[in-house]
Amino acid sequence: MDSTLLSWLVFVPTIGAVACLLAPREVTRTVAMLASGISFVLSLFLIPPFLGAGDEMNAAAVFGSSYGDALHFIQRIPWINGESFTIEYFLGLDGLNLPLVILTTLISLLAVWASWNFDEWKINKGKKGYFALLLLLETGMLGTFVALDFFLFYIFWEVMLLPMYFLIGVWGGPRKEYAAIKFFLFTLAGSVLMLVALVAMFFYSGAAVAEYPELAVSYRDGASVLTTGTFDLIELATNEAIQKYFGESLFLGWRFAPVMFIFLFVGFAVKLPAVPVHTWLPDAHVEAPTPISMILAGVLLKMGGYGFLRLCYPIFPSGGQFWAGTLAAIGVVSILYGALCAMAQTDFKKLVAYSSVSHMGYVLLGIAVMTETGFQGAMFQMIAHGISSPMCFFLVGVIYDRAHHREINRFGGLWLTMPKYGTMATIGFFASLGLPGLCGFVGEVFVLLGTFEARHTFTWAVPAAILAAAGVIFTAGYILWLIQRVYLGPQKPEYADYPEATGREMAILMPLAALCVVLGVLPRVVFDYMNGTLRNILDQIL
Amino acid sequence: MDAHRIQYWVLLVLLAPPAASILAAALGPRFLRGQTHWLPILGVGAALVGSVNLFNQVRAAGEAHGSIVVELYRWIATVPDQWFSVNVLVDPLTAIMLLVVTGVALLVVVYSREYMSDHGHPVRGYERFFAYLALFVFSMCVLVLGGNFLLLYLGWEAVGLCSYLLIGFYYDRPSAAAAAKKAFLVNRIGDFGFGLAILLIYVTFQELDYQAVFAMVDAGTTASGEALTSGRVTAIALLLFCGAAGKSAQFPLYVWLPDAMEGPSPVSALIHAATMVTAGVYMVVRCGAIFAASPLAMALVATIGAFTALLAATIALVQFDMKRILAYSTISQLGYMFLGVGMYAGSAAIFHLFTHAFFKALLFLAAGSVMHAMGGVIDLRRFGGLRRVMPWTYATMLIGALSLAGIPLLSGFWSKDAIIHAAFENSRLLGWIGLLTALLTAFYTFRMVFLAFHGTTRVPDGVHAHEAGAWIKLPLVVLAVGSIFAGYADVTFLSGGFAGAFDPHGWFSHFLSSVTAPFAMHHAEFAAAGHMQKYGLLYMSSAVAIGGVILAYSLYVDSPMLGLIIRRAFPKTHQLLSNKYYVDEAYESWIVQPLRRLAAFCYAFDRYVIDGLVWLLTAVPRLAALVLRVFEQGRLQGYGTSMTIGLAAILFLILVIGG
Repeated sequence: MDSTLLSWLVFVPTIGAVACLLAPREVTRTVAMLASGISFVLSLFLIPPFLGAGDEMNAAAVFGSSYGDALHFIQRIPWINGESFTIEYFLGLDGLNLPLVILTTLISLLAVWASWNFDEWKINKGKKGYFALLLLLETGMLGTFVALDFFLFYIFWEVMLLPMYFLIGVWGGPRKEYAAIKFFLFTLAGSVLMLVALVAMFFYSGAAVAEYPELAVSYRDGASVLTTGTFDLIELATNEAIQKYFGESLFLGWRFAPVMFIFLFVGFAVKLPAVPVHTWLPDAHVEAPTPISMILAGVLLKMGGYGFLRLCYPIFPSGGQFWAGTLAAIGVVSILYGALCAMAQTDFKKLVAYSSVSHMGYVLLGIAVMTETGFQGAMFQMIAHGISSPMCFFLVGVIYDRAHHREINRFGGLWLTMPKYGTMATIGFFASLGLPGLCGFVGEVFVLLGTFEARHTFTWAVPAAILAAAGVIFTAGYILWLIQRVYLGPQKPEYADYPEATGREMAILMPLAALCVVLGVLPRVVFDYMNGTLRNILDQIL
Repeated sequence: MDAHRIQYWVLLVLLAPPAASILAAALGPRFLRGQTHWLPILGVGAALVGSVNLFNQVRAAGEAHGSIVVELYRWIATVPDQWFSVNVLVDPLTAIMLLVVTGVALLVVVYSREYMSDHGHPVRGYERFFAYLALFVFSMCVLVLGGNFLLLYLGWEAVGLCSYLLIGFYYDRPSAAAAAKKAFLVNRIGDFGFGLAILLIYVTFQELDYQAVFAMVDAGTTASGEALTSGRVTAIALLLFCGAAGKSAQFPLYVWLPDAMEGPSPVSALIHAATMVTAGVYMVVRCGAIFAASPLAMALVATIGAFTALLAATIALVQFDMKRILAYSTISQLGYMFLGVGMYAGSAAIFHLFTHAFFKALLFLAAGSVMHAMGGVIDLRRFGGLRRVMPWTYATMLIGALSLAGIPLLSGFWSKDAIIHAAFENSRLLGWIGLLTALLTAFYTFRMVFLAFHGTTRVPDGVHAHEAGAWIKLPLVVLAVGSIFAGYADVTFLSGGFAGAFDPHGWFSHFLSSVTAPFAMHHAEFAAAGHMQKYGLLYMSSAVAIGGVILAYSLYVDSPMLGLIIRRAFPKTHQLLSNKYYVDEAYESWIVQPLRRLAAFCYAFDRYVIDGLVWLLTAVPRLAALVLRVFEQGRLQGYGTSMTIGLAAILFLILVIGG
């Protein structure tokens, strides 16, 4: 069972980052491409153990019969040993992080490729640093997804933060300092609360195993008994003693689980981003260079949803119950408010940024209702958005490289000038709009269905579903209006001589467009690999 | 029926058009160019062959066995062993819809060969046009073949996309771009309801397959075995109808269809007259079990249908754009179809859909032929007296117009009459509305014909008017033949001597009876209606239709001054109608603008309130910094001072307090 594949996967980009710094400037981008390419290929080797999981007979073997029962590619090394604690270097893979890991390596690869014309950028100094930071960021993201020790998770979480800060702050647009600092502060505010939770959870788990030693049987071998507190995310979720203690104890006079849940939630909600802690996102996107926007929208936002599903819900199920209404309300508000804000935009990139807020609202809603369909929808929505939104940001980037502005109202008739690019744009934006047959549709439908299904548990479920469904009208509104203003209409003389999308640009857009279609037509290619784990988590918390 | 053999024909219908579409997109621009039309001709032709075969098999199987479900692929699963399958339902309704779709589509593709050429040269986007057209045929086939609500929705949205792409085909024209957006958006509003309906169906029945759902509706239970409340059924039916009203352009969601005429004429004929816009009618009849179980929903469907029919017909009275007149006419005729469904006459509605496909496609194609000859001009005020210049177009259009007007013995007469009958049997008011609309229909149709083809010959400057070529004439002639004879599919000559010849319940309604059984079940008295009343109405509607034509003749050919006088006499009414009751303006000022303002408000809220709070939060440390900065100003004297003060203070403490 033990494997070092995940470690290789996580640290190949780091090696690449070092190589970028050492290698001559002329080959930097090749080195970066190589490193991200290798980690993409490595990530594909993670798939085999999950093959055939769509078949009901195999599902139990692949995903195990309960949460944490069948982790793959486990690597577990005691890392920091204290008198009463052990921090492990613990990596593992299940249906929750597998799709996200592959998404990360793919988007990183495409982002590196999208940086290929770095020398033509307005700010083209520090090429080595740029690519090295980009790869370091990839390490941080991959590490966060595969770390199963809370301490390690937290470290990777913070590792992501700095490269992003510099990538926006150094290579960004005119207001890059403001955007970078805003991004940093918002995220940091979230991580501070997470740190409190980290410490509290460790001590409370220690108290738990002392209180109920007879229940503290570890999931690892099903026999040994836990004697100290733990950072193991699976242990925290599955150990009966810990769960019992977490459910009944108090923290500063409040019930422990809801408080910890909200501490963790804030950090993840910032990343998601959920209204009202979303305002860093439009600024960050507008200032960030195109490839960074792709990563930001494609992968970084998924940290939020992943965090809910890995930490908040399995460990504090009663917190989830407690806050369900609030979370769903935030989700619905994000959907509608984000869409309305998008409608008011005149900046192309800001519009796409606000559309992310709206789309990620579905993720929050789907998770908040705690139904299987809702969870599936939320996960699918994350993957779908992870494909369509980088595509949209790259589409913006392509035209920004030519026009050097992003004013929607100044564009027009671009389809006539650049027919191939126009076709790609249509696919990308219609996927974002949630057209059936493209990837955006499946996630939304599953979320709505899951919300409806929760109507016996929550009285607000039906109104929430109806409001969320109304979001698709607004979405269609701003996206169609955008297409009309940018791509349709008569050719404008100032854009008439624009060159068609280059081979490289098309090569970046094509796989994303293909995935938009494939996931829309055959959603099973995602569902099969994650449903088992989601079901296990749900069995665990209900 | 043999599921195995059915499967192959189904696959032919489902695979040939998309193959043609993909090939046209892939090979068209580089290799085929002006010959691209052969791909959709082959693809749609193959689909037509498949449809004819399916139809024959359904017919041969007879009433009891004429329905079969074939599973093609398992799509997604929500919970274990509960699959959303790609399964198709082949039954009489599907068979007829497929014939209409592929048949009209083939004719339209042939027609487009010439129409989409300018003096023999393919227009820009020729390949794209045919690729979209084939894609549309595929989507429409999915819509009518789908055996569950999910596929229905998928096809539903896909035809909407094709409609969007084809309305916006001339996307460099701002009006076309705006019309495409409007069509999609208005449909989205309808689809919002439709989507909720499907969700509600799923949570109620835990099923999306038609047969399973309808069986439970008939049994009056939900998936968990509880009794199905009438409120739930009504909610589902109304939400479904919301979608139907969007797609089939019913009040208040009809506003997109007139604008959709920005698309090329063949598109208007195929998508916005014969097939896609009838999807709503198809859906309501398909879901007959659900609708018939809710009297309230049925009444609403009928009322909206009748109201829309009348409303659109009055608007059509005063328009001058030929295609828009026909668009309002389509809205009106679709209203008739819903009136028929709402009056428990599902087969009459589908019958009207069937005949309407012939004569309305014909009228649009003929109007397109005029437009093609007039160099793109379609305004009736700018040309006239074309009957000598374009005799073929004139003759075929005349047949289409007679059929639309409901002149006895033509297709439109039989089907419209069946609906008016049904209306009178259930509601006298709606019946009179139907009859009044028939009068208006005859009038506006012939107003158009007379303005365009009669009087002295006038053409726009610089246009050399000419009759169309063979590629355009052929579809016109075929559709003209259909416009005359299609109606006899539902006429029986068997019962009651001479009068029996006019009995409009023949083969067609019998063929559909298994599909429309829910309507009959909930409305048994319909079948037992008295014969005398029927024949009386036949004469009445004949008289109304002929009267409308005569009125148009007297106002527009015989004494044009009279028309002018009437218009002058009612200036307000005329203005109201010309401006289409200001409905577009109402949408603009009551919905679009408020929404824009709300969006602007949200964004301002984001910038100033939320970011303002963020700024306030960061202001706390900044304020602290401002105070503390005084002590850290980096000047040696300052540090010296504070050091001295500090030292003094410490010394003081030690000496005074400590000592």
